[in-house]
Amino acid sequence: MTTIETAAEVDVEVRINGRRHRHRVPSRLLLSDYIRDVVGLTGTHVGCEHGYCGACTVMVNQDAVRSCLMLAVQADGAQVRTVEDLAPAGSESLSPMQQAFHDNHALQCGFCTAGFLMTLESVDPDQWREPERIVELLSGNLCRCTGYQNIVNAVAEAWGAYHGDGGSDDG
Amino acid sequence: MKPAPFEYCRPSTVAEAVEALGSSESSRILAGGQSLIPAMNFRLTDVSVIVDIRRVDGLDSVGCDAGGVTVGAAATQTRVLNDDAAAATVPGLRAALRHVGHLQIRNRGTVCGSLAHADPAAELPALAVATGAVVGVAGPDGERRIDAGDFFLGPFWTALEDNELVTEVRFPAPPDGSVTIVDEICRRAGDFAVAGLVAVVEADAGAVRSARLVGFGLGGAPTRLPTAEDALSGWAPDHPSSGLTEAVMADAAGAFDDIHATGWYRREAVAALVVRAARSALAGSEAA
Repeated sequence: MTTIETAAEVDVEVRINGRRHRHRVPSRLLLSDYIRDVVGLTGTHVGCEHGYCGACTVMVNQDAVRSCLMLAVQADGAQVRTVEDLAPAGSESLSPMQQAFHDNHALQCGFCTAGFLMTLESVDPDQWREPERIVELLSGNLCRCTGYQNIVNAVAEAWGAYHGDGGSDDG
Repeated sequence: MKPAPFEYCRPSTVAEAVEALGSSESSRILAGGQSLIPAMNFRLTDVSVIVDIRRVDGLDSVGCDAGGVTVGAAATQTRVLNDDAAAATVPGLRAALRHVGHLQIRNRGTVCGSLAHADPAAELPALAVATGAVVGVAGPDGERRIDAGDFFLGPFWTALEDNELVTEVRFPAPPDGSVTIVDEICRRAGDFAVAGLVAVVEADAGAVRSARLVGFGLGGAPTRLPTAEDALSGWAPDHPSSGLTEAVMADAAGAFDDIHATGWYRREAVAALVVRAARSALAGSEAA
């Protein structure tokens, strides 16, 4: 009978925003803290740390997940994408969704914004079209500033921008 | 908050997972982690060894045949929700999973993990009882199968013995022509239900022929509503059988009080859900 080994420290190799990272970390380290404190990408915010607020949402292998409900070691071998990767590299411009958030006042304090953006970017842009679908999609992210309506407006405008009609009339 | 320190392992076979579970008295299986990790973050649960079964060979499968759907312990809720064949064979799966958490939770959370966790307000344990699912379990003494009706013993309490893990669950296809309804009352989309109902209803000629009713969110294990099942037989919207509400209220007599609702409210809510399910099942079977 083989004996399976357990360890309080584990090797983790993750590709974050296309860049490879290897570290030896405590097994209890959360992915959110790994991203922020070990890798140094602080765009991912930590709110409630029990999976309620959605602020820490990142993409793991294309799926939106709560990084506070994952251990760093569970992301071993995975591709992770964070908010830092959304804007085109080497340019001052924003992604269409980020630009739509900016134009529609879809954030105030900005604490929740990265989580909203990563949830939205994880799905097929066709899901940005219907207000009911947008509301359902965003039901796992809390925002205490906007009252959500401006976020829904921004998503609808981003859908327009994605399809090349320049979005809504912004007068 | 952060989890307290623990030892971690990632077995690649079920036998290794069972062995690792036996290495400590406070070992726990980690699959999706969407209930376990928050509990660890809050230090509500004492864990010394985490056994991560996400990469155990074969556990992430979703198998579908005419007789039912078999879901492996590492298969995510999103995977099952998006599986058209599974939804066609056991429609209750998609109906229930739509109520489970949010996109981000379902992307990690597993169907079997929800059963093993046995939250009294969770949809999937009630679906398992309503459909007559069978839970596959592995432990030091080998494998065994447990009927869902015998699996859930109370809040966060199942028939799993120490050092056993759930390896799969088999949901049998419901009877031909039946309608499966999963409905609930909750304060916010994605929250756990204040009260909920899974109903598998067979109807003909505009009346209910038979129904299997299981309430959840009532405080303990998923709650069969046998008196209400009898009272619903022959029920039609224009000839509502007398005593249906009273029957549900009696069957759900153990519903508990908490900060969200009184037990009385929960019983009335489930009674309303039973009527709503019957109406909706009759409308659905006429349309079909």
